Amino acid sequence: MNRVEPSIDEVTTAAMSEGRGASKRRWALRVTALQLGIVAGLLAVIAGAFFEVRPPEAYGLCMACHARDLVTWTTNRFAGTHLAVAPASFVFPVLTTIGVLLGALLAATTSGEFRWSNPDNSFKTFLYGAIVMNAALIAGGCSIRLLLRSAAGDLLGVIGFGGMVAGVTLGTFWLRWRAIR
Amino acid sequence: MTAAIATLIIGVILGYLGQRSRMCFVGGIRDFILVRDTYLLRGLVAFGLTAWLAFPLVGLLVGSHPGPFGFSDTVTVLLTIVGGFGVGYFSTLANGCPFRQHVLASQGVRSSIAYLAGFFAGALIFHTWVERVLLRLLP
Repeated sequence: MNRVEPSIDEVTTAAMSEGRGASKRRWALRVTALQLGIVAGLLAVIAGAFFEVRPPEAYGLCMACHARDLVTWTTNRFAGTHLAVAPASFVFPVLTTIGVLLGALLAATTSGEFRWSNPDNSFKTFLYGAIVMNAALIAGGCSIRLLLRSAAGDLLGVIGFGGMVAGVTLGTFWLRWRAIR
Repeated sequence: MTAAIATLIIGVILGYLGQRSRMCFVGGIRDFILVRDTYLLRGLVAFGLTAWLAFPLVGLLVGSHPGPFGFSDTVTVLLTIVGGFGVGYFSTLANGCPFRQHVLASQGVRSSIAYLAGFFAGALIFHTWVERVLLRLLP
């Protein structure tokens, strides 16, 4: 019987080592999604108005367009191609992608939440990434910039955001239907 | 160069806060539909409202407003709807918006790193093939 089930000692040791891991965290700021939304909204507007992240309008924060600028600018520079780059990134590309990766890495390591894991099929998520990027470039913005454009008064942004809400709704119902089937 | 440095600093700030708050701009709507949880949805609404208020306020300081946004043709409107729908639907299937995937990739989630590889490859695919096909097919 003892061979099959883990003994109490093993369980407690595992729990204790988990606890040690948690107490190792040095400092971890408590931030809510609401607070991030306010900060991101302010920074996105300020970037466009004061730090030359324009044109196009309402370009202060976008994960898809800024990543596109970085990728195509680098490809143009080193492979001699002439792929599209937004005017804001003609001289040097915007670096939001790298910034977010670095900032999140800093937060994950200082709070002890960095952990290698692989919850999904990598080929599937690779395809999702390519599809989302293409859809975002067709719509003219990722989920963030569609909302930013709506806030700036762009009717097309509102239309795209409406399409996105419809897509999320349908995707959620599809996921739920697949889960309960 | 100003834009590059500014967006790098803004990116670091938002990446840090995004990891701490688990923010996702698609997950808010999903969580609300599934379990009526408004934690992420509040972030989405706060982002929109803050930007909506900040655009005119900052416009007063700078003396210029975003726009004017011209009215566009039917094809652009349709493409925007289809693109927006694709962003929403496939982000939900991929379990997070592009911003959340960047944060997860930095937390060591391998499938999100694969997502980012597809994301960057997607930009090249779009501008080398998809864009040209669309321009040729559409009037």
